[in-house]
Amino acid sequence: MTPDALAPYLPLLAVLVLAGGLGAIVSVMSALLGPKRPSAVKSTIFEAGSEPSPGSARQRFAVKFYVVALLFIVFDIETVFLYPWAVNFKALGWFGYGEMAVFAVTLVIGLAYVWKKGALDWES
Amino acid sequence: MLTLPTLTSTDFLPLWPALILSAGACLVLLSEVFLSSASRSFQPLLTVIATVLGALVAAATVFSVPTGVFGGFVVLDPFGSLVSLVICIGVGLSALLAPAFLRGRQAERGEFYALLLFGGAGMSLLVLSNELIFLFINLEILSIATYALAAYLRRGPRPAEAGFKYFILGAFSSAVLLYGAALLFGATRSTLLPQMGAELARIFTDPTLSDRQPLAYCGLALIGAGFGFKIAAVPFHMWTPDVYEGAPTPVTAMMSAAVKAAAFAAMVRVFLVLGRGIPGDALLTGFSTLAFLTMIGGNLLALPQRNVKRMLAYSSISHAGYLLVGVASLFVKSGTTKGGVLGVTALAAGATPDTAGALRGILFYLLAYTVTTVGAFGVLGALERRDDEVRGFAWDLDRLAGLAQRKPAWAVAMAVFMLSLGGIPPMAGFMGKLLIFRSAVDAGLVGLVIVGVLTSAVGAYYYLRVVVYMYMRPAPEAGGLPERNLSTELALVLSTVAVVVLGVLPGITGTWLSRGGSVFLGR
Repeated sequence: MTPDALAPYLPLLAVLVLAGGLGAIVSVMSALLGPKRPSAVKSTIFEAGSEPSPGSARQRFAVKFYVVALLFIVFDIETVFLYPWAVNFKALGWFGYGEMAVFAVTLVIGLAYVWKKGALDWES
Repeated sequence: MLTLPTLTSTDFLPLWPALILSAGACLVLLSEVFLSSASRSFQPLLTVIATVLGALVAAATVFSVPTGVFGGFVVLDPFGSLVSLVICIGVGLSALLAPAFLRGRQAERGEFYALLLFGGAGMSLLVLSNELIFLFINLEILSIATYALAAYLRRGPRPAEAGFKYFILGAFSSAVLLYGAALLFGATRSTLLPQMGAELARIFTDPTLSDRQPLAYCGLALIGAGFGFKIAAVPFHMWTPDVYEGAPTPVTAMMSAAVKAAAFAAMVRVFLVLGRGIPGDALLTGFSTLAFLTMIGGNLLALPQRNVKRMLAYSSISHAGYLLVGVASLFVKSGTTKGGVLGVTALAAGATPDTAGALRGILFYLLAYTVTTVGAFGVLGALERRDDEVRGFAWDLDRLAGLAQRKPAWAVAMAVFMLSLGGIPPMAGFMGKLLIFRSAVDAGLVGLVIVGVLTSAVGAYYYLRVVVYMYMRPAPEAGGLPERNLSTELALVLSTVAVVVLGVLPGITGTWLSRGGSVFLGR
């Protein structure tokens, strides 16, 4: 494979380097400059929504975490599709509008289903 | 400035079956949450109506001229339309079997029908896919629906085992297929099948590109292995008996009828389009090895089974073997003198292999097998009793003993299905085997056909054993009968009639089937 074939991916490499560099700089800076006042609560392991689990990871936890995660991914991906469409809204015109409407309505049907099923109700 | 594709109504023509099935699925889902449980009994009917409409619009495109639509991502060709039709028939008949089965287990929920329809939409799109990423997404749509359906009855270890096994192995096989697709993309720099086929032809003729040949071979082999899992060909068949046994019986019927047909058709399309540029007998050797192993393995493993549901699972493997004979005969090149597991007899000088004939054979076989296997699993599901499932006794041969006295009509139907599966005239299964084996003999695969006929004779033993139990064994004393159910009986009547009519008058498919050999190869 010639190097030319990889040339279109150069911006991707730039993004990777920039993002990785920024992340590294921010964490190094905060470690160097940030104030350090540890307390017992701050030092515990952080895990969203469940008890921190040092030791074995093989414990049971509620299936509703999965449902929320799945729903998050669905609407996350909807956003991923909506942004490029919004940027090119004028060029895409009514055709793009129709396509997007079909896509959004399909997701709304899914949302109505999970809502009525009670998947969004954390307590039940 | 981006250029928009101009879509015409022709572009949407092949998509209508999938669109109708998806719309039906959405309606079922909405009715499930917005209507009270008393007023939801129309869900099976809605499902069947959606599949019938899907079948009708698929049938309407049978006489279309093969073209690529949606920028070449989707094809509109008679082969795809006919397989879509078969898929709609399979899903519809399975949906007819479901109400009685679900009522017996207090599991009547609309999600079952919605998943059936979503899966059907994925299958219908799969056979029309002409691009690898689109193909993979459709494969996942159908697989995810089927995983959920296999584990639909959550209680008890068997459905859980079936669902989990199917999910793990299905995901694994999808990954294998995806890896193969990635390697082929690396070799050909395209994901559109016709372009890939043209590029492969260049790779194998242009000496400067010969370093890409290993990549192409590895990619093809991995894609073949991925499809091998989906169609349950030996040696990729291990999951089949456990999953078929543990899944709810209407789902097993759908898997062995519609899912198998869709995966087979997609495999045929991928390898037909990609394989044009592959020199020598690589594809022929590969497919005839698979066919050889699958026919022998499936039939021998089915022999000792007393559990009829497991026996039918192994029988579905063996039928994949017979179909693979037809697939192998697609790849015989004119003037071939060697290759194939059991050799190829030389074709007469100037003779070209009849690809269209082999495709017609495969299509007829898929149709015949679909109606037969749905019926067989339907009888089995109707005889099941919930309390027996845990002990694995629900599908024992003894359960069928004396069925001829208890339920004469069901015994006749089951006998018809068994004879058809065994390939005994005048049933549809016989005509299917005849067409496939004839096209294989025409292509010179005599050795493979001999193996096929011998293993069919082996198969007759375990199919006829079911008939013997029904007609020649006394009925057990406490033989409680399942209650009558209109939709189950409708499905059984429809499939019995279809099996007999297709077997006696295969000509009624005539003009339609004669179009079936027409596959869009691109350009």
